[in-house]
Amino acid sequence: MDEKDCKVMVAKDLEDLIPVFMRNRHKELDALRVALAAADFEQLRQLGHRMKGVGNSYGFAHVSTLGKYIEDGARSGDRGALQASISEYDEYLSKVQIAYE
Amino acid sequence: MRVLLIDDDEDLRNLLSRYIRAQWADAEIEAYDPLERDMPGADFPLGSYDVVVLDYMLGRGDGLEWLKVLKQRPECPKVLFLTGAGNEIIAVRAMKAGADDYQRKQELTREKLISSLRELTANPIERTVSPDLASRMEGHALGGKVRIPGIKVLHLIGEGGTARVYLASREDDDEPLVVKILRHEIVTNKKALERFMEEYDMVERIQSRHVARIVGHGNYDNYAYLVMEFFEGGDLNKRLAGQAVAPAEALRFFRELMFALGDIHEKGILHRDLKPQNLMFRRDGSLAIVDFGIAKNIAAADRTNQGEVLGTPRYMSPEQVQGRALDLRTDIYSAGVLLYQMLTGEHMFDGQTAMEVAMHHLNSHPPLLPEHLQQYQRLMDKLVEKDRDARFRNADEVIGFLSRNFEQNAASDKTERLH
Repeated sequence: MDEKDCKVMVAKDLEDLIPVFMRNRHKELDALRVALAAADFEQLRQLGHRMKGVGNSYGFAHVSTLGKYIEDGARSGDRGALQASISEYDEYLSKVQIAYE
Repeated sequence: MRVLLIDDDEDLRNLLSRYIRAQWADAEIEAYDPLERDMPGADFPLGSYDVVVLDYMLGRGDGLEWLKVLKQRPECPKVLFLTGAGNEIIAVRAMKAGADDYQRKQELTREKLISSLRELTANPIERTVSPDLASRMEGHALGGKVRIPGIKVLHLIGEGGTARVYLASREDDDEPLVVKILRHEIVTNKKALERFMEEYDMVERIQSRHVARIVGHGNYDNYAYLVMEFFEGGDLNKRLAGQAVAPAEALRFFRELMFALGDIHEKGILHRDLKPQNLMFRRDGSLAIVDFGIAKNIAAADRTNQGEVLGTPRYMSPEQVQGRALDLRTDIYSAGVLLYQMLTGEHMFDGQTAMEVAMHHLNSHPPLLPEHLQQYQRLMDKLVEKDRDARFRNADEVIGFLSRNFEQNAASDKTERLH
């Protein structure tokens, strides 16, 4: 993960939506972990798909990128790749810095 | 305006509501969560809304099924259907099921949403005052008018200087396709029409998996059209989104581009307008070149093209800027500029005007790659030499260079992500 990925610019008028957005991302991370532990690839695919859809919309491109990796990993049943992507998501959420413009 | 917004994702409902209210402060938005509520029943006041925004994946339902049911009701308002990117067959089915517009969710911006809603809810008076809207309405009307055997033209997805581009589908199996219809004002321009038809002739001749597959072409009621494959992976411009891609991926794209250039050069064709928007990705990740609108036979370019400057300044070779006779090394240079952008996320040269950028290609040394990309500097130098005699002579030479210097690296870069 590039340092650049962790710096996100969000439109000023969306600032009040970000706490809910971030809370949902953390819930999503928990759901991903549970789904991986249960080898529930359909759930992982759906969660990845949702990340892919919502990340870019808010300016969090890396959420979309990881969502795509997770969706692809779930389709191919690649547990190693899924584990790597979920760990990266965890790291990303702990490091992401948001600026409002 | 009253909007019914059906999406299972709270964040998207919040975001789209915010965009709509920012545009129409008095908008009434019903945020409908399909995880909490069943499909609107017969007693639901569907006709009281001006527009419905409906997602494809509803968590515990299929948006397409909802669309079909809602559209059976005569009072159903216009529907904007949201699909996942890379899933155009769903867009095709949605349009056939009665959706009035569709947007790829991943690429849905504030502007695209507002533009779509404005268009769907515009009254006749508004349509006369906005040139952009009028143009789009004209485009939609044209799409509905043109008849192509075996093909259904569904939806305007882009407008260029010479042609309008539509999502279409093959009637037999719903395969998504693209139809390019030459603008009416261009049809009357003999030179532009010849160029458009030349594009078809050239692309058909190439027959390479690295070049867009042409399904058909023809004329309908004074409109010239071209039917070609649809690229679900979008273009390089969208992939880059103003950022660098991982070096291994950049090199993979670049290698594919070299294979493409090898194929078209072998047929005696120069592209002359390589840019991120002209490099498309299929669902399997393979890359193909599109838009041969200003391509030329090598012989013709050498013979007749001196003094004529065509192409996109950011990616122009020095000899192209000078309007000199071109050979295939002009495409090698442009590909080098593209590789620079893929590796660094930045343009090789910037400027206030197109002319300023073009002059940099002629006179300025290309910026060095940053420290962590130094291993690609020698490759870059030989791609973007000002003196074309010092450049790689053809795509085969570049592919050989890549094989000798980077194949091992590509393999190790690829495994790096897995650990």
